[in-house]
Amino acid sequence: MGSKKILLVDDSSTARLVTRMIFRQKSNYVLLSAVDGRDAVERARAEKPDLILMDVMMPRMTGLEACRVLKQDKETSSIPVILLTTRGEEAFVQEGYASGCSDYLTKPVNNTELLDLLKAYLGE
Amino acid sequence: MTGTEDKEPRPETASKKGSATGRRGVSLDALRARAQQLSLREQLEREHFLLERLNATSTRLIQAVEQGQVFEAIGEIIGNLIGSEEVAIFEYHMVDQSFSLAWSTGVKEEVLQQFGLGAGFIGRAAHEGTSQFRDRLPGATLLFCETNLTACVALKLNREVIAVIVILGLLPQKNGLDWADFALLKFLETYGAVAVRLQNLREDSVNP
Repeated sequence: MGSKKILLVDDSSTARLVTRMIFRQKSNYVLLSAVDGRDAVERARAEKPDLILMDVMMPRMTGLEACRVLKQDKETSSIPVILLTTRGEEAFVQEGYASGCSDYLTKPVNNTELLDLLKAYLGE
Repeated sequence: MTGTEDKEPRPETASKKGSATGRRGVSLDALRARAQQLSLREQLEREHFLLERLNATSTRLIQAVEQGQVFEAIGEIIGNLIGSEEVAIFEYHMVDQSFSLAWSTGVKEEVLQQFGLGAGFIGRAAHEGTSQFRDRLPGATLLFCETNLTACVALKLNREVIAVIVILGLLPQKNGLDWADFALLKFLETYGAVAVRLQNLREDSVNP
């Protein structure tokens, strides 16, 4: 099986750095990155990743808005989107699902939880 | 199946030795050994995750010195790795023993001004050079502005305090600081201070 492409979207360079380090041990994933929602939509259309891991609060375009745009576009609608949120409350989670996301993780992200979730979507 | 699982004693062998066996013929000794393996694996994963976080922290601090954004980077590290969106960082000036606000997020102006006085937990962190954790001082008297306080972390070089990080509320899904958070904050005490000092030296060399 070939490498799986994951698009990581976060405006925080610290968050991108930590996620990169978590993925460093996983040679079967190729990590692409974007710094906000608008950037994510452009990269997703160009690169067609296997999965998108996206922060919610970002400048220019939030993760929720980007998720809605991606789900309305035939080219990207089938890509699973996992939202990374600081808010784990029911209302925020519901809002995430309403935008079309497949799953969500609360920050600070735990490496085991993240890798388990990716395994569930992308396989071993 | 892993190689380790293959080495577990088979039920028949265990029975011959007189160990108790479960209904499916798995001995309690084997179950205990399996549980021990899982707990060891969990512990290793947690430690590995901590190392990744420390690695990310030091890399981010070095980048930030170059960009002149050490305080922002420390705030981002607290936000993303510890889990707080209510953070203030005060720079400590040894000459007049005063504080000035260097960076903050999610903290009200009136609260920030009270912290600036240098009393209470933040004062203790700055004057004694020891980080203060609310959980570890349950009986301590709090100032009004400290009601929501989680920790005051003293960034110091040797015994000299360079800055104090004030962490107020944690994210709702965080029940408190765990051992990995304490280890990261301990790391920041020194490496955060080094980064602040380097940034100041760099600025002084550019604008003497």
